[in-house]
Amino acid sequence: MKKIAIPGDEISSIPKRVNGTYIDKGKTYASTITMVDSDTGHLLPLEGAWSPRLNDTVVGVVTMVKNHVYEVDLSHFGRGLIIEGKFDKLSLSVGDIVDARVRDIEDRKTVILENPRKLYGGILVSIKPAKVPRVIGKENTMVKTISSITGSRLAVGYNGTIWISGGDQSAALIAIEVIENEAHTSGLTERVRIMLEKIVKPEFKELQKQREKNERDNKTDWE
Amino acid sequence: MGSSSNKPELLKNGKRLDGRDFNELRELKIEAGILKNADGSAYLEWGNNKVLAAVYGPKEAVPKHFADPTKAVIKCRYAMAPFSSLEDHGRTGPNRRAIEISKVAKEAFENVIILNDYPGAQIDIFMEILQSDGGTRAAGITAAAVALANAGIHMRDLIYSVSVGRIGEHMAIDVNKIEDNYSDADMPVAISPRNNELLLLQMDGGLTKKQYEESMVMILEAGKKIHEVQRKALEDYYSINKKNTEQE
Repeated sequence: MKKIAIPGDEISSIPKRVNGTYIDKGKTYASTITMVDSDTGHLLPLEGAWSPRLNDTVVGVVTMVKNHVYEVDLSHFGRGLIIEGKFDKLSLSVGDIVDARVRDIEDRKTVILENPRKLYGGILVSIKPAKVPRVIGKENTMVKTISSITGSRLAVGYNGTIWISGGDQSAALIAIEVIENEAHTSGLTERVRIMLEKIVKPEFKELQKQREKNERDNKTDWE
Repeated sequence: MGSSSNKPELLKNGKRLDGRDFNELRELKIEAGILKNADGSAYLEWGNNKVLAAVYGPKEAVPKHFADPTKAVIKCRYAMAPFSSLEDHGRTGPNRRAIEISKVAKEAFENVIILNDYPGAQIDIFMEILQSDGGTRAAGITAAAVALANAGIHMRDLIYSVSVGRIGEHMAIDVNKIEDNYSDADMPVAISPRNNELLLLQMDGGLTKKQYEESMVMILEAGKKIHEVQRKALEDYYSINKKNTEQE
């Protein structure tokens, strides 16, 4: 049974340190709006800002270039800094879209990024950071579903920014909107798959089949 | 406060002017998440009170010297629209009364928001009174609590607020404008329902100890109903989204 817990609802009678809860007098209470699965005890916060963790992927736009330092705008969160190493040669300019990994957390509004990858073309969408784990899905299943059906390439940042390029972008956009609105419901991947198969334009399906075929042909035996 | 010389009759046949019992609330409706640009929002209708509450944040505190490196800073704005009242409220913008209410509301929220979770950040709370009919600070705080939960701000509890008045020897809950202006005493209260902690207590007029205790019993009883409406508003907001899925 899934149930919505509001701030102040008792989650557990023993102290548990989970995201979206706090402990008071040996009991655990919800501190945000949370979906509680009473069978498994799993908690899914429905709202909330992203608190950065190491190795999280982010997507942003370069807003400032200084000597060996690039500043990236991370919309909901704040900014990220890419510091050019001694042997790196980054050629980023203002307005470039990059995806990168969090290397270090500087302060509340600043993170240090590493492994930047420049993304060419495409569109950027912004969603609530609390919904990002659902867009990625368990072991990337959701992203894989969207990109395989629409033929688009996606880069999903934990800061709530998503980059979409190629394929049926409008279908991918609709899929992301559906996921954001219904992040707390179960069986979402299957529903998105059914929905996408209805709305994706036929020419992109052909494209996708072609791509899959190419991949199969290129596969070597030892793989 | 009205003068006592031209005080209207507040009781008719043992009932209040609008036909309510002494422990009866006005009709209360709350809707969460109605402003798309805000991080969290709520619209409340409580009798003739209409309140719009919005929450922005946590964001970087401005001006910079305002920021506290150990905890979040809360900014609270209570404002009455110029068209909100029967009497002219004059120009829009903060006046002495609005500044006071903003301050007490801010202090009520400071006690439930887990400030240490957002060091160096600022949380903006806005309470706009679109139409007023007594007890607007209670309505504002009740709406803002829902908006805060909708924004995903970490809170210890979803607080509610309600006012209580004294009409002669009787205590009456949720006073409207006439009762508020001409009653012998009125007392707005904000409470954290998890442990019934008192977060706001103001009093205009006088109450005996017995009357105070009687009114607190009344408030805690009514608070259960208010908290239930707040919970329903939030549950509805998330289940509406669920309904859309089923249609597709």
